[in-house]
Amino acid sequence: MTLSLALEARDLSQLPSRRDEDWRWTDLRGLIRELPAPSPEVTAEISPGPFGDEGEAELLVVNGRVRGDAGLLTLAEGEARVVRLRFVSATAATGHGVKLAVSLAPGAQLTLLESYEGLAPDYLADAALGVRLETGARLERIVLAGDHAEGVSVSTASVSLAPGADFAQTVLTDGARRQRLETRVEHPGQSAAVRMDGAYLVADRRHADLTTAVNHAGTDGTTDQLVKGVVADQGRGVFQGRITVSPGADRTDARMGHHALLLSDRAEVNAKPELLIFADDVACAHGNTVGALDEDALFYAQQRGIPEAEARAMLTEAFIGEVIDRIVHEGAREVARAWAAHRRVG
Amino acid sequence: MPAVKQTVDHVESLERYQHGFITTVDQEFAPKGLSADTVRFISAKKQEPEWMLEWRLAAYERWLAMDEPDWAKVSFPKIDYQDSYYYAAPKEKIGPMSLDEVDPEILATYAKLGIPLREQEVLAGVQGAPKYAVDAVFDSVSVVTTFKKELAAVGVIFCSFSEAVREHPELVRKYLGTVVPASDNYFACLNSAVFSDGSFVYVPPGVRCPMELSTYFRINAAESGQFERTLIIADEGAYVSYLEGCTAPMRDENQLHAAVVELVTLDDAEIKYSTVQNWYPGDPETGKGGIYNFVTKRADCRGDRSKVSWTQVETGSAITWKYPSCVLRGKDSVGEFYSIAITNGRQQADTGTKMIHLGEGTRSRIISKGISAGKSSNTYRGLVSAHPKAKGARNFTQCDSLLIGKTCAAHTVPYIEARNGQSVFEHEATTTRLSDDQLFYVMQRGLSQEEAVQLLVNGFVKDVLQELPMEFAVEAQKLVAISLEGSVG
Repeated sequence: MTLSLALEARDLSQLPSRRDEDWRWTDLRGLIRELPAPSPEVTAEISPGPFGDEGEAELLVVNGRVRGDAGLLTLAEGEARVVRLRFVSATAATGHGVKLAVSLAPGAQLTLLESYEGLAPDYLADAALGVRLETGARLERIVLAGDHAEGVSVSTASVSLAPGADFAQTVLTDGARRQRLETRVEHPGQSAAVRMDGAYLVADRRHADLTTAVNHAGTDGTTDQLVKGVVADQGRGVFQGRITVSPGADRTDARMGHHALLLSDRAEVNAKPELLIFADDVACAHGNTVGALDEDALFYAQQRGIPEAEARAMLTEAFIGEVIDRIVHEGAREVARAWAAHRRVG
Repeated sequence: MPAVKQTVDHVESLERYQHGFITTVDQEFAPKGLSADTVRFISAKKQEPEWMLEWRLAAYERWLAMDEPDWAKVSFPKIDYQDSYYYAAPKEKIGPMSLDEVDPEILATYAKLGIPLREQEVLAGVQGAPKYAVDAVFDSVSVVTTFKKELAAVGVIFCSFSEAVREHPELVRKYLGTVVPASDNYFACLNSAVFSDGSFVYVPPGVRCPMELSTYFRINAAESGQFERTLIIADEGAYVSYLEGCTAPMRDENQLHAAVVELVTLDDAEIKYSTVQNWYPGDPETGKGGIYNFVTKRADCRGDRSKVSWTQVETGSAITWKYPSCVLRGKDSVGEFYSIAITNGRQQADTGTKMIHLGEGTRSRIISKGISAGKSSNTYRGLVSAHPKAKGARNFTQCDSLLIGKTCAAHTVPYIEARNGQSVFEHEATTTRLSDDQLFYVMQRGLSQEEAVQLLVNGFVKDVLQELPMEFAVEAQKLVAISLEGSVG
């Protein structure tokens, strides 16, 4: 049951619904009553994306069609580059899907500046990334999801790592009519390291869903996850994080944190931080908090002469800042910081 | 620390499962299998009024249309609902009787289990020891309820469910199925159709129940299931503490236990509900036999400032599937859940709680300690939700899992649903194994490995043991030790 299957087979019954445990808070079948026409090819010039001209190369995907050389995402041994990968939905009331492969040979290094851009309302967009990292390869993936408020978008990255590989990602989103950003990682342990961060800033009636699943299959693996969310108005934030430690994956060190702020009485946060542990010599923990802005901190800031609205913005920015600070690529970090400041909610 | 000493003292006397004996007693059964006629048979046996039979039959019709759920992290062969007896009772007259009329075999059974059915035995205990009243349920019927007179003097009704249906139909009709509706879930629905006995408690306004109430459930008959139903109502300002214990013989077959417990608290009332569950867990090596414990327990905190506290020690059953829950409807009502779940051998447990915050200023606390050993699997599954109207709702959840050995599994699956900006939910979970350093330290002091493990485990679960009434805390501690026997080395 996926959006991509439904789009390919043009079959509504393939859409995931609330009855599917992994989609209980992001219901597509109840939302989509009919499948829109396939998206047309667009040849018009597309203006620069959120990452501007950061990095060395750009791969543009418009309405599910790749413009340019998809080989940019295949790196030979020892190669290193920074690539902007832009998924653009340009036509209203149409649907499209795309599948791309990212492959890093041993020792290769890629910084992927990935963006989702909705230029028109009411689209259905599906993107699937297959990622493979060989020994010693390193990928930093920074995702800025800027879908249209009336768009429906699902992005799924399936990541498989060789021992000693290093995978880090930061997913930032302000939601859409319905939006899901999912990452699945096959973690071999053996000194491979995973960092999977995310932040959602959701207002109006938008919906953002960050879902991750990491499966530790071998010994000595680490996973570090920090996800934060701020929800205002009638927005809805969803976080589902699953860490599985398979039998024999001893000395796994996995930590997950999810913290959300609710800024209005009609905002909603649903979270399911899951630990499935089949090995005994592990250190696994998760923490989850949901609450309002700290009234004491707000009072303190106001006492110093900062107006309430500004104090609120400062506090939420600092709250999200913790996620952004962990981005390694400096240019991307600054873009992300500006994005978060621009999208102050509440 | 007495807790530790107690454990150490009992290490010597451990047996794998001490309650696995079978009582030979003349019993009568309903015809094997499940049909509308079985439901009528049970209802007739209980001399129930027409409305009760109709309620059962309606539930049975609904059950036929339902599918068995499969979402829990447990696996077991499909249950053949036609291959079981739904009613088994010692051949005696139904209804309240004096102890002298009870089959001596049954009395001997309870004596062996350490349950005092003779009031004077309780009184003959240590001077100043707290009294507690017992409702003893043997297969499908309640054989005796103690201290009824003394309780009636203060207005507390404590009797078997069948008796309540006959003697207090107005109360039963008013509350039955209002917390767990017949169609709530597959097993609750089955229970609503075929429930046989259980306990009924009503504490009138302003009364603090003068003693602990308890029910002891015993499955004895082969090829049978137990479907008891418990309903406890604490009227305005009332307080009651209720304990529940259960055991079963060791048999090669799986037996189904599908109970429903409904608690209702009105304004300022409080119910403390403690369970020590020690059903036969099946053979630790082969996994053969054992009880399927599929239970629906829910409390409805209807009144403002009311409180329900669930404490459970889950050591038995081949499969445990239960989530004692609180619907926090009343303003400023409080729900608590303290749990120790221990799985060993091939046991599987999927247990936790639901805290549903509907009213303003409602608070809840969840402390769950899961211990897995052997080839077992232990899942904490919990829901904390806040309705848009539940302004100022607060929850704190802590669930810790401890793994002993390389072949067991521990899972944590919390669900958090916050629907307003004034609620604060905190959740933390850890999964660890017994630390080598701690074990080394304790063993260096001269304890064997097994003793050391028990000492450390007792420390791990201490937060929850403290919540148990004293008599149960001692029993629970022994159980913890017994359940983990043979889990190391």
